[in-house]
Amino acid sequence: MPPAEPCQAVDDKNLVVAVNKMATEAGVQVGMRRREAEAVCPIVVTIEHDPGAEMARFERVAVAVETLIPRIEVMSPGLILAPVTGAIRYFGGEAPLVDRVAKEIDVVAGPGFRIGLAAGPFAARRAAELATDGDPIYVVADDDAFRAALDVAALGSEDIASVFRWLGIGTLGELADLPRDAVVSRFGPDGLRAHQLACGEDRDTLDRVIAEDMSIEEKFDPPLENLEQVAFVARSLAHQLLESSAIGGAIPHRIEVEAEAADGAIRNRTWRSADPFNERMLGERVRWQLQAWLDTARLRSGPGIRGGLVRLRIMPADLSDDGRQLALDEDALSAAEAQRAFAQTQAIVGNDGVLQAIPQGGRDPGERSLWYRWGETPPAPERDPQAPWPGQVPAPLPALVPPDPFPLEVEWDAGIPTRVRLGSRWVEVISWAGPWRKVGRWWDGEHPSDRYQLVTSAGAFLCAVVNGKTYMAGVYD
Amino acid sequence: MADAVQLEKYKTLADDVASPDLLSLQPGRVTGLVGHPGFGLTRLGLVMLASREQLGPVAYLDVRGWLSPPAAWESGISPERLVVVRCDDPVRWARVAAHLLEGVGAVYAEVPARIKPAQLHKLVALARNRKTPLILRPVQGDLPNGMAHLKLEARQVLWEGTEQGHGRLGERRLIFEASGKAMRGMTRLVEVKDDGTNALRLVSGLAVALSGRATG
Repeated sequence: MPPAEPCQAVDDKNLVVAVNKMATEAGVQVGMRRREAEAVCPIVVTIEHDPGAEMARFERVAVAVETLIPRIEVMSPGLILAPVTGAIRYFGGEAPLVDRVAKEIDVVAGPGFRIGLAAGPFAARRAAELATDGDPIYVVADDDAFRAALDVAALGSEDIASVFRWLGIGTLGELADLPRDAVVSRFGPDGLRAHQLACGEDRDTLDRVIAEDMSIEEKFDPPLENLEQVAFVARSLAHQLLESSAIGGAIPHRIEVEAEAADGAIRNRTWRSADPFNERMLGERVRWQLQAWLDTARLRSGPGIRGGLVRLRIMPADLSDDGRQLALDEDALSAAEAQRAFAQTQAIVGNDGVLQAIPQGGRDPGERSLWYRWGETPPAPERDPQAPWPGQVPAPLPALVPPDPFPLEVEWDAGIPTRVRLGSRWVEVISWAGPWRKVGRWWDGEHPSDRYQLVTSAGAFLCAVVNGKTYMAGVYD
Repeated sequence: MADAVQLEKYKTLADDVASPDLLSLQPGRVTGLVGHPGFGLTRLGLVMLASREQLGPVAYLDVRGWLSPPAAWESGISPERLVVVRCDDPVRWARVAAHLLEGVGAVYAEVPARIKPAQLHKLVALARNRKTPLILRPVQGDLPNGMAHLKLEARQVLWEGTEQGHGRLGERRLIFEASGKAMRGMTRLVEVKDDGTNALRLVSGLAVALSGRATG
């Protein structure tokens, strides 16, 4: 971006994704619509957001850092995570390491970079955000205190942050002090993630050993140099990897891209995502990386892929360890899609509108399930489902049970049901069974009830007779 | 009595064998269940859903708030795989159903009374596009014509096991009128035995409506 004039980058949805300092001072913010930004700053220069081109320019920074710290991970064009435990020992401390990294970046890209050093990717990223142009290096001395002092906006979701603020929780330290169960109960999976970050339980950058070779590889003859072909190959390999039975339904958070050039040089790079990769995200990352290597080779600005791509290999650098056990036939991508669908549904109908249930004991069909909100931990059953429960209505159980039994008109002849009124018409009772007597908590004023199964030509119904009145307790639909 | 008269209009094809796949959900196909509560349509839909639960969670869009989870468990859906979404607002219902179709393995949706056919057509197109099996169960009335790949309209339910004050409900026989593309343009009576578990059994000896004499 040209620093001398206000400038913004917009994506394909015309949303502002990046702004320079002058534009920020003029009131332009990331997330605004283009027209809105141009209204607050009419002279703002707008450029199209092109992650592939950005990665091509950023590649030399990645290479410079990688010469000092192995196994760096690219989050997005412009953002690198680097595990520094070994490098700190090698360079003799944190300060010499970051000074050296800063010097290398300054040589290849000039000023404007920021470096944060802290325990874990989340804190390090926040530290880098707090660095300034005047002092581009922010080394966190006390990780716990630094994290506790962070504003809840650091969680990255303005929705959840605004609710936390409304509840009087302004910092991650205050959030971490809350019991996790309570946070999960109120906010679901997003709350759990937020609480984990507030407690410093971030995903680290260390490798997890993956026993089997799960890589997907493709060779090209003649070598690929065309970006369109590369994009197609990237998407195809991403699809193959996520559909592969080898990854066993897990979703990678980190992915390693390895490419072989026509001159025999092999390049590799690890990409990381805060969310598990899906096919589109993975395909994009592979394409950006390949574009960066091809462009740097063409422009001779770095060691890219010269002469075209002859082999491409992608493999998961770790596998998702969150979520649940997947079934044999289930794949992680569809599980993630289902989670997203239920979360979106929950946003529309509210937390109490998306429910699951577990079995529990009881005499009435309605008592034999315990509802809980989707996304929460299933509660312990209030009543033992294995207990005998005398007076229990036998299986099969009615498929439809009204939450509040409503009066049902039944004609009785000497204790035998003869007719039932369904809507505006009377239907004869063909056969019936019962009663199953439920004594009820008489000490709480609960009356005993007798449950009958009534079979009519319009179906079978479960009715309960309480204090001489008949109620609809279920429909065998 | 009216049912009996209606049944006489059908000719039984004794040698016709019911397709075992008739009641299994197919990707992107829409099944319509039409009939009053009491004819066993909910349990039929739940058994259909159960055939897809090993692929991921299944959703039941509950308009009335009446679904009893034990019936779903009896039908073969494990508790952790069943997600019940309650929404009785016709305005939000279509959005909710669309979100579910985009991510869930199979969806059983009760259709509120005031849903416009155009909205249902959009949902059917989305289900086809996302290859998500969809079961539509109107709470009142019928589905618009041509919407369901397979439409099962309840005709009769016969219970066994109960006497005059003795026994208990056991097996039931459900008789449906099946139509739609899945039936290759024919209208057949399908008899299903339901013993209260997840094993619905199609009974052979289907019936087909007598076709009119062609002229011209």
